[in-house]
Amino acid sequence: MEETALTVRVHDVSMDFGSGTKAVDSARFDLETGRFLTVLGPSGSGKTTLLHMIAGFLKPTAGEITINGQPVDALPPHRRSIGMVFQKLALFPHMTAAENVAFPLKMRRWNPKGIPARVSDFLDLVKLGDYRDRRIHELSGGQQQRVAIARALVFEPELLLLDEPLAALDRKLREEMQLEFRRIQKELGVTTINVTHDQREALVVSDEIIVMDGGKIQQKATPVALYQQPANDFVAGFVGVSTFLDGSATEGGVEIQGTRCAGTHMTDIAAGTPVRGGIRAEQIRLGRSAQAVADCDTRLTGHVSDMIFEGERLLYVLNCPALPGVDIQVYYHDPDAFDLFEIGSEVHFGWRARDLRIFRAAR
Amino acid sequence: MTDVTGPEGKRRYPLRWHVMDALEGAAGVLWPRRMAPFTGWLLLAPALLLVAVLVLGMVQIAESSLHTLDRSTFLPSEDYTLENYRTVADSATYLKVIWRSLYGSFLTVVFTLILAFPYSYILVRTNSAFTRKALLVALFLPFFIGQVVRAYGWLIILGNAGLVNDALELIGVERQRLLFSFPTVVFGLVQYMLPFAVLLLAPALTAIPREVETAAGSLGANWARVLWHVVLPMARPGLIGATLVVSTLSLTDFAMPAMLGGGSQDFIANAIYDQFFRTADQGLGSALALLLVAIGSLLVGAIFAAFGAGTLAMGGRE
Ligand SMILES: Nc1ncnc2c1ncn2[C@@H]1O[C@H](COP(=O)(O)OP(=O)(O)OP(=O)(O)O)[C@@H](O)[C@H]1O
Ligand SMILES: [Mg+2]
Repeated sequence: MEETALTVRVHDVSMDFGSGTKAVDSARFDLETGRFLTVLGPSGSGKTTLLHMIAGFLKPTAGEITINGQPVDALPPHRRSIGMVFQKLALFPHMTAAENVAFPLKMRRWNPKGIPARVSDFLDLVKLGDYRDRRIHELSGGQQQRVAIARALVFEPELLLLDEPLAALDRKLREEMQLEFRRIQKELGVTTINVTHDQREALVVSDEIIVMDGGKIQQKATPVALYQQPANDFVAGFVGVSTFLDGSATEGGVEIQGTRCAGTHMTDIAAGTPVRGGIRAEQIRLGRSAQAVADCDTRLTGHVSDMIFEGERLLYVLNCPALPGVDIQVYYHDPDAFDLFEIGSEVHFGWRARDLRIFRAAR
Repeated sequence: MTDVTGPEGKRRYPLRWHVMDALEGAAGVLWPRRMAPFTGWLLLAPALLLVAVLVLGMVQIAESSLHTLDRSTFLPSEDYTLENYRTVADSATYLKVIWRSLYGSFLTVVFTLILAFPYSYILVRTNSAFTRKALLVALFLPFFIGQVVRAYGWLIILGNAGLVNDALELIGVERQRLLFSFPTVVFGLVQYMLPFAVLLLAPALTAIPREVETAAGSLGANWARVLWHVVLPMARPGLIGATLVVSTLSLTDFAMPAMLGGGSQDFIANAIYDQFFRTADQGLGSALALLLVAIGSLLVGAIFAAFGAGTLAMGGRE
């Protein structure tokens, strides 16, 4: 049967809260068993709404969601096989960590004799074996996080849903937890949908990424494909493209107020069409002399207007008379030369044609 | 934003800032900074004074409970005696009254909580602003009417020629004697206590995130199990607070037993009233009053010991 390999099918699903625009607009995708999907999008793009519809907490105003061929809302929530980690965790404060993890097993009438051992296994899985008898408020944020994950996984759900569970953690802990997610998910092979607005997290943990904006799915791709071939300027902006050039298309590039820049058309675009080119800060070459940018397809000069020290690298903001009104952001990695270019000094910069991605302007 | 820069560039602050400065200056003179460690006690002083007066009154009551009433002179006896307490202990009537008060307040707590819980739950959880407002108005309307007027209302509704009996007759049931019975007193008390219980329960329920219930559902609990394993335990502080308030208020209630019980369903407070204002036996009345205080304190103490103070602890625990 074809259906066996398919866990989740979201079929032209829309959600209209009746406030003008749709919170989710004709979302359509399939997710295969065992895959880790991340829904990436800015605040208010409809991620939580989509997730809650998949969990069956919200009924779509149009379309259908099936899990293994069965509509999600065919069963009441407590009969579904979906583990969910909520944005605010929603742990039970009157229970210990172990009792929280045991809760779904008791509710789902597992054999009581097997419960303690299984709870221990899962607390070990999330490295909380020593904290089993702590109350929730006696645990740190990251530890509470892991209790929530163990609780959502322990009853072998077919589907695991994560609603920005890491958003509240500090960066280091968040990065640790991202890897831990990845490890646990691979270990158990559970199909997972994760929601986040952190592009790094999406790239690190996912097999596939869906980028959402304004309720619409902008692109569904693997992390590498998303990074290399963003479908439009919005997606590009979300995966780290920071300098945008608005102009009209030319053969092999874009013209901005008379300046021709070499670039790559991402789709078939006729000359003269309004377009938007985007380039990453790390793909712009920077130097004091023209030689430094000799092998670039586009070579320009400008002035340093700002410099931001980011620790492992410097971010220069350049202004260029040939590209009026554009802030050009350039990363500069040279551990010994933080003060190489002073603010106001003239610099040469440029890029290769393949690095400036050109998209159709109007979305 | 208030513009603090005047036309000539001079800073101009609003008048109330000057008033605050003046007040602060005055406070500095009356209560210098070095007195700051005692500020807490200063703020407590009025309350402490009130308690002190109460304690003085109690001492006086205790004193008068140790004198019996001399029936020939209608004056308290000279010598100290425990006679009044013996009278209470030996009297089947008083024991019955004490028992009735305890049992009545127990039943009131049970029924009030059973009714107040779903009421508060809907009040807190409803998405409809109209429902919430309607529930709040329905809750506070009887509050404004006052206990005596309300009891009087019940007299009219439950009387032999009242609304309820008219309705009973309409459906072919014989007229009942509803007034002046124990269940009616409890009924009146429950109706009186409901707003207090809801007011104590609602904050406790508000503190339970909706997501926690959704989570419990997604983890496999049906609504009954969500209620039993999650909502009730998490609402515990509110339940304890409501129990404490409702039990003490109904244990010591006067108006409901007096009016709906019609003298046949007296609680301790009614017996005390009779001693003070009917038989003018101050000694016996005082003994009963002290007994009531003792029983109430024991009850509260027992609930404290068993469950903690709930919402009344104001974050003292956890
Ligand atoms: N219950 C609701 N009633 C009306 N509008 C809603 C409701 N829930 C969400 N919305 C609207 O739907 C849109 C999508 O909301 P949603 O919560 O799905 O965003 P999100 O992508 O999860 O954002 P965030 O990253 O901030 O959590 C928003 O514009 C929001 O205002
Ligand atoms: Mg959200």
